[in-house]
Amino acid sequence: MEANDPTLTLEARARRAYELGRLRDATKLAPFIILAGAAALACGRPWPLTAAVTLPLLALSLGLSFAGGAAGRAVVPGLVAGGPALAMPLLMATVGHACFGDSCMTLCLPACVVGGAVAGAVIARMAVRHDGDVRFLGSAFAVMALTGALGCSISGAAGVVGMLAGVLAAGTPLLVVARR
Amino acid sequence: MEDRERAELRRLMGRLADGDRTAFAAAFALLWPRLRAFAGRYVGGPDGEDAAQAALLRVFSRAGEYDKERDALAWALGIAAWECRTLRRKRERRREQSGPSVQFADATATPEEAAVENDLRAAVDAVAGALRPLDLETLRAAARGERSGGATFRKRLERALARFRHAWRAKHGSE
Repeated sequence: MEANDPTLTLEARARRAYELGRLRDATKLAPFIILAGAAALACGRPWPLTAAVTLPLLALSLGLSFAGGAAGRAVVPGLVAGGPALAMPLLMATVGHACFGDSCMTLCLPACVVGGAVAGAVIARMAVRHDGDVRFLGSAFAVMALTGALGCSISGAAGVVGMLAGVLAAGTPLLVVARR
Repeated sequence: MEDRERAELRRLMGRLADGDRTAFAAAFALLWPRLRAFAGRYVGGPDGEDAAQAALLRVFSRAGEYDKERDALAWALGIAAWECRTLRRKRERRREQSGPSVQFADATATPEEAAVENDLRAAVDAVAGALRPLDLETLRAAARGERSGGATFRKRLERALARFRHAWRAKHGSE
């Protein structure tokens, strides 16, 4: 087709409309991610750390959702799975528990591990529905890890590591059993 | 549309909804003729072409919302019908706002003369909008040749013309 063919122009416009539509759909997730960041800030998380986690989470979620495919479909399950890992340690902070030193090990760290275990179970269940697609699994795990890190960083690096350990401990057996 | 093409469109739209860009060209090739024919029947004429284009852009813009369980053609035609109705309403509203279309005073006028007259009429319409209803009515009556009321009408016409000239100068800069 020639460049001045009106059909080609219309096709280019339709293509642009399609891409803009996908971008618009992807941005619908943004309020939830910003809300998660705001919740972390409201619970006393330092803003540089919160921004350092929220912004990559926002970019990753919007980018994957815009691109589509198995990785794009994994964004919402990843955010949902990361919810408990985000909420549990933050809830500890709201009930007056101060996460310092040894006291952190008694409540916040276990909360991160439990939150991670719940997240792992959710992701494994979702991944089974998608035939254990590696792109789905990787994308959901990355989104969940960043979402959970917003809350579990309350216990420092140990909290994040504990959460990831919980994810692997609960998710791996479920995936292995489902694949058999 | 044959069942085979319908099923193919459904499959292609499903892939597009999932973000598979390679399905775009084939989906476009299947959809555009159907939407154009539908809008042409629904609206007709050049408006039909506009409605078809608007519908096509809307369908692709909302491709991400497409549910694979639904028939893609019915879904696209539903959007097209909505676009056609919207376009028709817009056109009707515009026609109502602009009033009756300008007509040539002289059927034997050349296209240039007709264009000049149309421009003049448009310029007069633009100024007339700034006048008071009574002035406008007086000018219309004078244009129709109705001179009832004698001196009172003459006086009113003088005043209306003076206000018209003033408004014309303000709008167009010269008489």
